[in-house]
Amino acid sequence: MSLSVLICDDSLVARKQVAKCLPQDWDVSVHFAKQGEDAIKQLRDGKGQLLLLDLNMPVMDGYQTLEAIRNQHIDTIVVVISGDIQPEAHARVKALGAIDFIQKPVDAAMLQAVLQKHQVLQVTEVVDTNLPYAIRDCYQEITNIAMGQAGDHLARIMNVFVKLPIPNVNLIEVSELHMMLNDIEAHDRVSAVCQGFIGGGVSGEALCMLSDSSFGDVAKILNITQEIDDQLQLEVLMDAASILIGTCLTGIGQQLDLSLRQGQPIVLGQHRNVSELITANLTKWRRTLAIELSYGIEGYDVQCDLILLFTEDSMAIMNKKLAHLLEDEA
Amino acid sequence: MSQTAQVSPVKHALDDVLEFHWMMDMLQTVDVGIVVLDREYNIHMWNDFMESHSGLNAADAKGQSLFSVNPSINAAWFAQKTKAVFDLNVRSFMTWEQRPYLFKFANYRPITGTEDFMYQNVSISPLTSATGAVDYISMMIYDTTDKAAAKKQLEALQVHVDEANELR
Repeated sequence: MSLSVLICDDSLVARKQVAKCLPQDWDVSVHFAKQGEDAIKQLRDGKGQLLLLDLNMPVMDGYQTLEAIRNQHIDTIVVVISGDIQPEAHARVKALGAIDFIQKPVDAAMLQAVLQKHQVLQVTEVVDTNLPYAIRDCYQEITNIAMGQAGDHLARIMNVFVKLPIPNVNLIEVSELHMMLNDIEAHDRVSAVCQGFIGGGVSGEALCMLSDSSFGDVAKILNITQEIDDQLQLEVLMDAASILIGTCLTGIGQQLDLSLRQGQPIVLGQHRNVSELITANLTKWRRTLAIELSYGIEGYDVQCDLILLFTEDSMAIMNKKLAHLLEDEA
Repeated sequence: MSQTAQVSPVKHALDDVLEFHWMMDMLQTVDVGIVVLDREYNIHMWNDFMESHSGLNAADAKGQSLFSVNPSINAAWFAQKTKAVFDLNVRSFMTWEQRPYLFKFANYRPITGTEDFMYQNVSISPLTSATGAVDYISMMIYDTTDKAAAKKQLEALQVHVDEANELR
């Protein structure tokens, strides 16, 4: 399947120039947008797995476009191509999720180098960067069912009403994980536990984050009466994480006919910025399937986020299993 | 022909027994503590690791309550901790960072080791019976003393470096 590339620039000349610079032998379908709003619309229609984005445009500029992509969780790889050479512009677009910045006028060699550097060229030859709609839907449904079971269990064991989250399923890049974590960070300081899981060729990591303000209430729910010190917080976090991660993985495993083993959980840090937690490991992977769940408990101030990250290799196996499910239903 | 057909089931049965035997031997000798408990927290298995480090024989431990064998474990706390394992069929974990040990054992290296006791990671898993019910749980106790000591040293070093930087 060919990759869809969306070129967004207000100038016709610039659009043509960028299109001419795309690698010659690259199997892509090229689309054009005159400004950000137009681009977002086309991205939503699946017309831009790769977005080559200008910054200064009427109606909706490049920065606003990047923000919209982030807020709407649109799955695309963005390279900014702009005449703005200020280092600040460079830093800002990267912070907003663009993978790189190319100065105008763009030339073929430079674009090729950037695409190669970020493995956009290779990857698209092997896997489709967009999660097909049916498969995404399937992951979402499977997580929903797993969560339904888990929620029921949790509710019974803790005598609370669990507000079931709608799972957010996405293929994400390293930079996007960063953004996702920054979003979480925006509301509070958090502590996190991460736990590896593996089984039947599927592997990944579960990340469970509890905002510091939730500890008191979680302890109440778990019947812990002592004063909450750091040591006890760790214990609360570990218990909540074991239950959430365990029930969720068991539910998903059952439906996919997999038995997922969990490793010993690791505490990522207490009272630290989330982005600090992840920075150290950033370079080891580039794309992952993420299932994001945000829990709340009725009547309590509890904010708990669970993110299941699956490796790229696991996806091939899971997709195959899911394809069987889809066939069965049809 | 008929003779071999008569012999092989017996040989099979013998093989099974032998296999069971070496499997048990493996569970006994593995360098990880294994304790199996029922819903009343009575001990059903207490392997070599547990015997050696606690000084309590398996024969004496079996049938006893976990809380009488190790009074330092708070029964209410432990019940809370294992409730999810029994009821939800999920694993539960304790790390040395959270609680340095569950069983107070001496350091495995009493001469060259820097810590007085053994730091432990503990994982508690449900054991499903043939009917699918969870009647027993297993506790695995891992020795993480080296890891804990290394982390302590690293932290001490960091404090040193910070102090040195402040003085400059």
